[in-house]
Amino acid sequence: MTDQAANGHRGDDTGPGQSPPWAGRREFLRGTGLSAFGAMLGMAVPFGANMPAGLIPAALAQDTGLDLMTGKNGLIVLGDRPLNAETPAHLLDDDVTPYDRLFIRMNGLVPQSALDASAEGWTLTVDGEVENPLELTIDELKSRFENVTRRLVLECGGNGRAFFNPGASGNQWTTGAVGCPEWTGVRLADVLREAGVRDGAVYTAHYGNDVHLSGDPEKEVISRGVPIEKAMQDDGLIAWAMNGAPIPALHGFPLRLVIPGYPGSVSQKYLTRIRIRDQVHDGAKMTGYSYRLPAYPVAPGTEVPESDMVVMTEMPVKSLITFPQTGADVAAGQATEVRGHAWAGNGDVAAMHVSVDFGQTWQEARLEPPANRFAWQRWRAEVNLPVAGYYEVWARATDMNGVSQPSTTPGWNPRGYGNNMQHRIALIAA
Amino acid sequence: MRAITTFTALGALLPFALALGPASAQSRPDPMRAAATQAARPSLSDPMVALRAPTEQPADGVAASAEFGGLPDAPGAEETYYQCVACHSTEIIKQQRITDARWDDLWGWMVEQQGMVEPEPEIRAAILGYLKTHFSSER
Repeated sequence: MTDQAANGHRGDDTGPGQSPPWAGRREFLRGTGLSAFGAMLGMAVPFGANMPAGLIPAALAQDTGLDLMTGKNGLIVLGDRPLNAETPAHLLDDDVTPYDRLFIRMNGLVPQSALDASAEGWTLTVDGEVENPLELTIDELKSRFENVTRRLVLECGGNGRAFFNPGASGNQWTTGAVGCPEWTGVRLADVLREAGVRDGAVYTAHYGNDVHLSGDPEKEVISRGVPIEKAMQDDGLIAWAMNGAPIPALHGFPLRLVIPGYPGSVSQKYLTRIRIRDQVHDGAKMTGYSYRLPAYPVAPGTEVPESDMVVMTEMPVKSLITFPQTGADVAAGQATEVRGHAWAGNGDVAAMHVSVDFGQTWQEARLEPPANRFAWQRWRAEVNLPVAGYYEVWARATDMNGVSQPSTTPGWNPRGYGNNMQHRIALIAA
Repeated sequence: MRAITTFTALGALLPFALALGPASAQSRPDPMRAAATQAARPSLSDPMVALRAPTEQPADGVAASAEFGGLPDAPGAEETYYQCVACHSTEIIKQQRITDARWDDLWGWMVEQQGMVEPEPEIRAAILGYLKTHFSSER
């Protein structure tokens, strides 16, 4: 990876004996990130002072996955390195989210194996607190365990972060870091049972082969996990296919976890290893403020001590209005169909309601059963906007415990997780 | 109709709220204050826009620098640019509106967990000062 990057980079070098155009910056660059990058490659980075805005060294740029955005349709790019992009609500109307509408959440760079679509020699290791450590090829996974296909919601833990005030650090997702593709694989629980989980098992630890943003091959990009009880439920998959095709490079080729109901970050992409641990996993982005919430409610903007932050587990109940698109013109005095999806981190959704009067009154929507547990559920409602004018449709899902979505942001937290506020669209009746 | 009214009220309130400044906002917690001042630019075609935290620095009329990845062209931009793009693009910086304490924490996280090289103290001060000035929820 690094060698390749270095080789690809050499062709652009200014050549020996030539003074790089940014020589005047050398003093400044000493000790900064860029010089560290140069040191890693064993050469100077030929950075022009007149370099176009946003340009990054070619050695680094090739692996962000940005080129693959041509296969996406209508997504909003929040950042190009790491690549993160979300889907406007009206483009999430499909029951099964197609590849071109699925959000992208990269923590690092896309590994070369995924870019090359090469799964040659790929193995999955299962070790740690197990009786029989496993090292399985993808063919062995496919042949030794029951193959299952399920629609499972994948949602970033920080979806909705943009609505927290004061702001929380991270990508400012609005509503579109969510999707419900159809995944094919084997049950995580079946594989763990085959390995024989020991009594002392507490947590899983997931590892992939994606590359750290710094390019440092030794650095872990992200390594999260779930309580062993969650891992042993039947819902989670080790998947090799999405929507009937090999998992695309941006979404974890050739193997990934899909553990529904928890923040998407537990569903490790580019999966190489699952280690069973006898303690809560402390890998990259498990500790500090990452994917953690305060243990008690805090006022917006409060500095919470790290020791009071607890790992985020189940995602809250949520819904989206996927039709019509916000701002649509509709006929006054007639029935207008409004529809979308609803899902919950603790299983299925119990009820769905919409309001066209800013939450003063609510009407129940028709809610379809899920294709399987943790698939999002289609809901539909006919709303009648009595006279011409401006209306908002507010949508509110209720989970099996009777817990429903708030009309404003729920508990502020330092990193802006778990915002399940009601989605609103505008309708103009004429 | 109601939203139009809200829109007008918001426009009238904004200068007042800004004049008060963040210091007085700290006096006594009041969720209604956030409801009155949250949106920098309400949108009549998308009610979610009005619910977002402000995405512009009201007093920050600084132009974006083409040379430094679109960062506001102000003292500290160059140091910030070269320090940060070693790992990530400026897009993630430009999205942030966070407290000073969160910037300090993020800095520590990048150094300790993400392998960022700690620059000389004066460069560090220039960068953190720049971030806290232009990507702040406090000013």
